[in-house]
Amino acid sequence: MPENRNGATSAAPRGAAKADPADAVSGEGPDVRAERDHLAISRLADDLLPALIAKLTATGLGEIEVREGSWKARLRRPAGSDEARRVAAWSSLDGHSGHGHASGRGPAASHGRGAAEERDRRAREEEEAEELARLPIVATSPAVGIYQPRKDLAVGMRVRAGDRIGTVDVLGVREDVIAPADGVIGSSMAEAGEAVEYGQELIRIELPENARGLHADGADREAAAVLGEA
Amino acid sequence: MFSKILIANRGEIALRILRACRTIGIGAVVAYSEADRDSLAAQLADEAICIGPSDARRSYLSAPAVISAAVVTGCDAIHPGYGFLSEDEGFADVVRAHGLTFIGPSAEVLERFASKEATRRLLEAHGLRTIPGSGTLRDEAHALEEAERISYPVLIKPSGGGGGKGMRLVRTARELEAIFKVSRSEAKAAFGDDALYMEKYLGDNRHVEIQVAVDRFGHAIHLGERDCSVQRRHQKIIEETPSPALTEAERQDLCQRAVRAVVEAGYENLGTLEFLVDSRGEAYFIEINCRIQVEHPITEMCTGIDLIALQIKIAAGEPLGINQADVVSRGHAIEFRILAEDPSNDFRPQGGQVLGYLAPGGPGVRMDSHLYPGYEVPPYYDSLLGKLSVWAPDRAQAIARGDAALRELLVDGLTTNIELHRAILANQVFIDGKVTTDLLDRVGSAPFVAAGNR
Repeated sequence: MPENRNGATSAAPRGAAKADPADAVSGEGPDVRAERDHLAISRLADDLLPALIAKLTATGLGEIEVREGSWKARLRRPAGSDEARRVAAWSSLDGHSGHGHASGRGPAASHGRGAAEERDRRAREEEEAEELARLPIVATSPAVGIYQPRKDLAVGMRVRAGDRIGTVDVLGVREDVIAPADGVIGSSMAEAGEAVEYGQELIRIELPENARGLHADGADREAAAVLGEA
Repeated sequence: MFSKILIANRGEIALRILRACRTIGIGAVVAYSEADRDSLAAQLADEAICIGPSDARRSYLSAPAVISAAVVTGCDAIHPGYGFLSEDEGFADVVRAHGLTFIGPSAEVLERFASKEATRRLLEAHGLRTIPGSGTLRDEAHALEEAERISYPVLIKPSGGGGGKGMRLVRTARELEAIFKVSRSEAKAAFGDDALYMEKYLGDNRHVEIQVAVDRFGHAIHLGERDCSVQRRHQKIIEETPSPALTEAERQDLCQRAVRAVVEAGYENLGTLEFLVDSRGEAYFIEINCRIQVEHPITEMCTGIDLIALQIKIAAGEPLGINQADVVSRGHAIEFRILAEDPSNDFRPQGGQVLGYLAPGGPGVRMDSHLYPGYEVPPYYDSLLGKLSVWAPDRAQAIARGDAALRELLVDGLTTNIELHRAILANQVFIDGKVTTDLLDRVGSAPFVAAGNR
């Protein structure tokens, strides 16, 4: 690929990525398809991964997968981690153990998958996706320094994953606070001008009612989460 | 004196610095990476701040992150510990530019002693013998020429390196041709500088180092020597003081020459001059470490002087407050580096969770460790789990105390080198005080462990 490919990708506005599913069926050449793939991967990496990481950290889920078109990004917590065990315990307390998150999956899967099982799995995934969508998402500090939220920021304002919603001043150099997911601005967890540490929770991002709201642009993207499978 | 110090390091040394701060009544903030959130230093500190992700380049090695943490927590000084940013003159300079004090030598002093080769020339001019060696090697032809002049075997060393990393023993011109380019690219990758130099390789040698302290007014003391001859691949694993390799007269002579040379060369703060001592007792200066050393506890045990507190005091611009006559070294001390690695499996580092931990006790026993039961050793950093140091009135009793303490030390859940330490203590060569730096690599650790198990 010529060098300008990279330049074009990094400079591509969000709109380019959004427009992408619309011409998914047009008969374009390999170059255009490659460009589209590139943008899709780029969007997965830039926008979705931080959101996934934030969710995985915040929720202690065992595994999260997001699909966009034919692309899939999956994050899995190392097996047997304390967090996974803790979450398994927590979800059983919460009345979800009947769906067999951690325990039900392994042995059943090894017997091959019948249609009923497949239905179960889908139902479970849908339910878990909804559960995931209800969990709070928080924008965190990218560095240790002095925090300033974006001036025009207000509770209820709609933001997209990857939007800059504030800065942390590190010895005069501003590092961006990024919205980890699409949603609306919720409550603040730090004051303007406050000293913050790396990873400190700064602003809640409220999600719309259900997981479908996560991809409100109507693209063929779906989110699924599997509790405690890792 | 400072009001609050940022501790920009991790593991046992972060804990050690925190203890020193508490002892002398200075506030302390522990800076930690995301992977060290559960570290003992972060838990015990009155104040702790996360400075970045587990990747050290974005946390412990990031000057902006460390300095920003010091600024926002209201610290007036930064203690870098050892490794990471501890000998980085650029960092020391930026720290000062932000109105903070770097606890260590000034940026100018660090810069003067940054190049090993230049430091050898400098201290040679001030009366220290150095190993015959080359300047920076221009290319392979130059290297071959210099090796011929110095005579094989020779050691190829990176100018920007330390701790024996990237060092190679070359016995013939053919070997030199085979490794020169590789060494250069390794040096570039490891230290960001591909400059190499060459030294005559001294066969049966011992590693002896002198601890010095110099205040801003040029007053200086030495605090005796440490013998670090028990090494594996140029990494120290057991250190002791005094050195069994030196007579009292040789010790006095070497310590006095060392302290005189560094003062004349303009050194300041704590420092360690490392020497190789050959089989005839000749000491050759090899390098200076401008920081607190891992093995400092044995010097503290014999002299009763808190070296970190002294280092902080010097950095604050205060006079030493003691003369050479006040430094009296008593008895014998040995330190064992407890490492999370498997001696029977090529010393591979082992990560994982500490299921059980019990530190030994008794007279003259000191444990510097950040372990606790349940602690998860992060895989991102070095394998040092702690340092067991023992003191006794003489060497034989120190060995006995060392063995008793090693038997008591429990680190459950990880593979460690505790048994190797016990095997070395039981070995006749060690008991006779005749270990040379290449012994473990030459013999291999398996015979030690096997003999120790009998």
